Amino acid sequence: MISVRNVYKKFGDLSVLNGVSLDILAGEKVVIIGPSGSGKSTLLRCMNLLEVPEKGEVWLDDQILTEVDPDLHPELQTKADRKAFKKQYGIDINHGRAKMGMVFQHFNLFNNLTVMGNMILAPVELKLKTKEQAIKDAETLLSRIGLLDKKDVYPATLSGGQKQRIAIARALNMDPKALLFDEPTSALDPEMVGEVLELMKDLANDGITMVIVTHEMGFAKEIANRVIFIDEGVIKEESAPAEFFTNPKDARLKEFLNKVL
Amino acid sequence: MLYNLNAGLWQNCVKIFTSKEYMNMLFEGLGCTLLISFGAAIVGVLLGTLVAIVKIIPSKGPLMKVLNVICDVYTTVIRGTPMALQLFIMAFVIFAIRGFPMEIVAILAFGINSGAYVSESIRAGILSVDIGQTEAGRALGLPYSKTIFKIVIPQAIKNVIPAIGNELIALIKETSIVSMVGGLYDLTLVAKILGGGDKLASFLAPMTVVALFYLAIVYLLTFVIKLIERRLRASDKR
Repeated sequence: MISVRNVYKKFGDLSVLNGVSLDILAGEKVVIIGPSGSGKSTLLRCMNLLEVPEKGEVWLDDQILTEVDPDLHPELQTKADRKAFKKQYGIDINHGRAKMGMVFQHFNLFNNLTVMGNMILAPVELKLKTKEQAIKDAETLLSRIGLLDKKDVYPATLSGGQKQRIAIARALNMDPKALLFDEPTSALDPEMVGEVLELMKDLANDGITMVIVTHEMGFAKEIANRVIFIDEGVIKEESAPAEFFTNPKDARLKEFLNKVL
Repeated sequence: MLYNLNAGLWQNCVKIFTSKEYMNMLFEGLGCTLLISFGAAIVGVLLGTLVAIVKIIPSKGPLMKVLNVICDVYTTVIRGTPMALQLFIMAFVIFAIRGFPMEIVAILAFGINSGAYVSESIRAGILSVDIGQTEAGRALGLPYSKTIFKIVIPQAIKNVIPAIGNELIALIKETSIVSMVGGLYDLTLVAKILGGGDKLASFLAPMTVVALFYLAIVYLLTFVIKLIERRLRASDKR
């Protein structure tokens, strides 16, 4: 569903991603872990092009989001060839993003809008739904997360856990094919982590594709189909959670797991 | 000497407030000051918003680059030269046309000057909105323009109101220099005329009265700004 192909990303002189390739299948739950500064968030942000990679490609199903990387397509020799390829397989980035919901560490609810305003802004503006339909769907989602009574309040009045659950509901109101989670519980008070993880487990059972950057190892063990360890901008290990946590191979991963488990 | 200065303040004030002629002159001056200030405020805020948006957009195309340079030159030149000089250039060079309404010259001169300062305030206001708000909008698939207009600017306005208020207060008082180019009878010039030998033959009373007029305008404006601010902060209430 989401395919990251040999992606490189630099911030100034600092190389954050050094050739990362990753295929995420439809319905899969992939958890990405790694020490801070390893590039895990950057990898996630490259998937919806909040960060634009210098090299490599990102695909959403059979459509390319990034520019065409000549190294990955030796058959496309001229610039015109690559342009034609991009024209054939390319998708407008805004359309691509609309299909991938993103949940941020700091929630990023729109402070100038009520909860309902947050929920319906994008689907209505992008004409994915009529206003009536968007409101109806938003109400369904809000009652599912038990926050329908908050629909007319502004985000400033909500707790962190409530904000994050609404941020997830806002992403879901776009009817996305996949959800990207960037450390969704890292900015929460400990007692609010549970409610957000519960909701995420619920979604996982619904079968939506999820890519999750997190430090919650227990959660990763429970819901992941595949766990990925990233360090120094490359994928050091990837395997099913049982294998990943009980029988790690990479030395750096062993050290990391020893510290966090 | 001090006695002389003080003498007649009260009587002259009474004269001003009881004379229909003097009061008419004062209200004409008030109207002129308000017209220039109001017109210049509109020009300034519109121009300032436009310039701020041009400066904030991550420039890629050649058109945006040219616009960016123009906006940079504009703020640099306007903020780097005296207001009085800009007014002279407007009145005696650019609009040195017989019969051209001086009100428009003044509104443009003060508006263009104000726009340079307003643009920097608005730019600061836009930059003060957390980048996460923009990212969340873009991640939902909203184009840059929609993200800016529906999410960032509504939040920036609230941060910008105090600075804009400050600029408008300064603008109202700055209009007093229009008397330097002639042709416009604003509050300050009216005070000067009232103090002349053929009227009251003393500046103390008319200057005091006019000072109170300015004070009243600024006080009212401050009150309105506070009201607007309070309304805009509704979404911050906990």
